[in-house]
Amino acid sequence: MIQPQTRLNVADNSGARELMCIRIIGTSNRRYAHIGDVIVAVIKEAIPNSPLEKSEVIRAVIVRTCKELKRNNGMKIRYDDNAAVVIDQEGNPKGTRIFGAIARELRQLNFTKIVSLAPEVL
Amino acid sequence: MLTALRSSSSSSLLRRSWRLGSPVSRRGLCSSSIVSESNDGGDRRSLLELGEVEKILNDVRADDVKVIPVGKRCDWVDYMVVATGRSTWHVKNIAEALVYKARFVKQKQKGVERMMLPSVEGQEEGKWIVVDSGRVIVHALDENARAYYKLENLWNSDPSQKEPSQDLAKAFVKIRPKNNSKKRVQGA
Repeated sequence: MIQPQTRLNVADNSGARELMCIRIIGTSNRRYAHIGDVIVAVIKEAIPNSPLEKSEVIRAVIVRTCKELKRNNGMKIRYDDNAAVVIDQEGNPKGTRIFGAIARELRQLNFTKIVSLAPEVL
Repeated sequence: MLTALRSSSSSSLLRRSWRLGSPVSRRGLCSSSIVSESNDGGDRRSLLELGEVEKILNDVRADDVKVIPVGKRCDWVDYMVVATGRSTWHVKNIAEALVYKARFVKQKQKGVERMMLPSVEGQEEGKWIVVDSGRVIVHALDENARAYYKLENLWNSDPSQKEPSQDLAKAFVKIRPKNNSKKRVQGA
């Protein structure tokens, strides 16, 4: 359940460290974003000497949420943190590697690039 | 079901059965095709077979094609194919050729599971296009993107990363603590 003003960790090596959601892309007046949704975010904290800087506005895909993700077989997945991966306008990830486990729903949502960079797929 | 089996069996087998023409031989063909189907059962869900993909990539002259079997490492895909295109147009053409082939194959197996095309990602831009056809995933990249993401390093190097974790497991094996204290042990 990501909404504007939510702070998220960054799950890649793009150079950002913390994001703040400012808008959910999709329908208007949408309240919450879940795994696989694209958000507009501000970089609140960045690693020094990296291509991304603080207070830059970027797009990101949510890859982990504390709110559980339900599957049809009754399985529920929830993570310890809210995390996102920085992408550009075309959907290519900014970073080259992704950290941590990632849900396989992202593949169905056409984020195969992110899934193929991830070390572990749940 | 029967039509599916027939279309999946090789055309030479079919032709032979028609030449023989007897129903018995045709039944024999069916059973043989079932055997072949069960042999290839692993990648039945895949729209494009690995051989087809390699042939297409040869035909469109993709550079530096690498096939990485990743079936042991992850359960969601068997083969990663990485190919380089010379320009964005070339990369787009690689993806287009693969989709065309998948559509063509599907048209042959009409009525089975008809509209299942591979999902294509990044078609508009042409720097990195992923054609996801079930068990085989084809990455077509231009040279800059390939040098940037280094996909083959990621997928090849991971077994070496797993070995240190085994060492770590050894390090965590419980060892009986050595008694360094000068106090006498009670039992002795």
